[in-house]
Amino acid sequence: MTDQLDYQVTVEELSALMKRTAGVHVDPVTLRQQADDGFDTFGLDSLGLLGIVAELEKRYGLGLPEQAERCKTPADFLALVNGALKTGV
Amino acid sequence: MSGPQRARRPAQDAGERPAQDARRSQARDGDRRAVVTGLGVVSPHGLGAEAHWKAVADGASSLGPVTREGCEHLPLKVAGEVRGFDAAETVEGRYLVQTDRFTHFALTATEMALEDARFGRADVESPYSVGVVTAAGSGGGEFGQRELQNLWGQGSRYVGPYQSIAWFYAASTGQISIRNDFKGPCGVVAADEAGGLDALAHAALAVRGGTDTVVCGATEAPLAPYSIVCQLGYPELSGAGEPDRAYRPFTEAACGFAPAEGGAVLLVEEERAALERGADVRATIAGHAATFTGPSHWAESREGLARAIRGALAEAGCRPEEVDVVFADALGVPEADRAEALALADAFGPHARRVPVTAPKTGTGRAYCAAPVLDVATAVLAMEHGLIPPTPHVFDVCHDLDLVTGRARPAEPRTALILGRGLMGSNAALVLRLGGTAPRTA
Repeated sequence: MTDQLDYQVTVEELSALMKRTAGVHVDPVTLRQQADDGFDTFGLDSLGLLGIVAELEKRYGLGLPEQAERCKTPADFLALVNGALKTGV
Repeated sequence: MSGPQRARRPAQDAGERPAQDARRSQARDGDRRAVVTGLGVVSPHGLGAEAHWKAVADGASSLGPVTREGCEHLPLKVAGEVRGFDAAETVEGRYLVQTDRFTHFALTATEMALEDARFGRADVESPYSVGVVTAAGSGGGEFGQRELQNLWGQGSRYVGPYQSIAWFYAASTGQISIRNDFKGPCGVVAADEAGGLDALAHAALAVRGGTDTVVCGATEAPLAPYSIVCQLGYPELSGAGEPDRAYRPFTEAACGFAPAEGGAVLLVEEERAALERGADVRATIAGHAATFTGPSHWAESREGLARAIRGALAEAGCRPEEVDVVFADALGVPEADRAEALALADAFGPHARRVPVTAPKTGTGRAYCAAPVLDVATAVLAMEHGLIPPTPHVFDVCHDLDLVTGRARPAEPRTALILGRGLMGSNAALVLRLGGTAPRTA
């Protein structure tokens, strides 16, 4: 579905996903300000990130690159995921 | 609380000596004693030790119909549900999402136990000075069922990653450790219902081996559809439909047991360390022993339980006549009840007919591994209040026991024996003494 492939994951969406799938609540403003801090500083562990990747893959019906679940910061993660969504990889 | 300066031996710091060494060194000097300083209770009777005790002392019963969603059509009709428990009130979001109800109970009971013991951050000398030991029989059945239904209903992409840890028996120990940053010796006992007592023995060993503090207990959440179906194969499970008839051990009407959820977590500390930080020493874990006699071999459990009792008394240096109250396993299966009465007679001699015996769990149901831990918490409260609680729903005892029924009996119990048996054949006995031994430093 090409209309979805143009879609970009926002900081707001990431914040909502962190809360829903991992129970970690970081408001979008803070998440944007601290986008270069490690996920671990927010209390999100590797299983939590795995859950977010799985959720995005379900939502967009495509496989994200393996590196997605190994991203250390929100900024890296969004750049990688949005790059992948753009090219439809 | 601001912790007073502690005089510490170097060997106490790491707390990583193997258990066998701990037992040998204990046999030599008996220097370090494991005492109970805090109780955390999540019981069908209520949340918190006080609410639980009030109902227990009143001889109240919290057995009722199984009301959990998806269980209506199942043949198990009566159980002890923990009502009014809102995990979100006590457990933060990330632990809520990542863990099952049995771990929600454990995290909540742990907070209660720490608070009850007035054990605060300032009392944690080093993260490595606090260990965690729990026992579990059911694991996270409700969480697991949900994820497995997602797997077979929608596909593997719909299974959350926390399924990998939430169902597991070890989940509660791990999450208590992570949430509180307790990095001392951690363990999980998967040894049947009696494992609740074995966990306390394990905690006592860790204390003797050099760890000052151990969070120890068991909680269970077996009242969800999949978990209940797993239990339906137990011939000992009561199928009775009326809450006042479902669980009546030691009577002619015994027809099995009613299961329960919830449990208890205790704060176990080295006695001197507890006194030095100004804690109230509530009880001493004086002795424990365990045996195994095979699944549902209830006649054989007589010998196994008698040996466990003798072993626990021997470790405690306690004569049978010193035992002031027995918290019975009270399975509610005639053959098992007879075996337990005979085991007491074998181990106690004539004192078996004189010692008051109680089974307050007939008012809550049996929460598997958590059942004997809840009994230990109740025993501490009974000794403190000078009151032996009764055995709800039980009248006309058909064994040669002085079972306390009807109303609580005023007494001055200073030594309690707690018994536990598991459906898979484990037997355990634990001797608990009121207070500590060292003079109080105030």
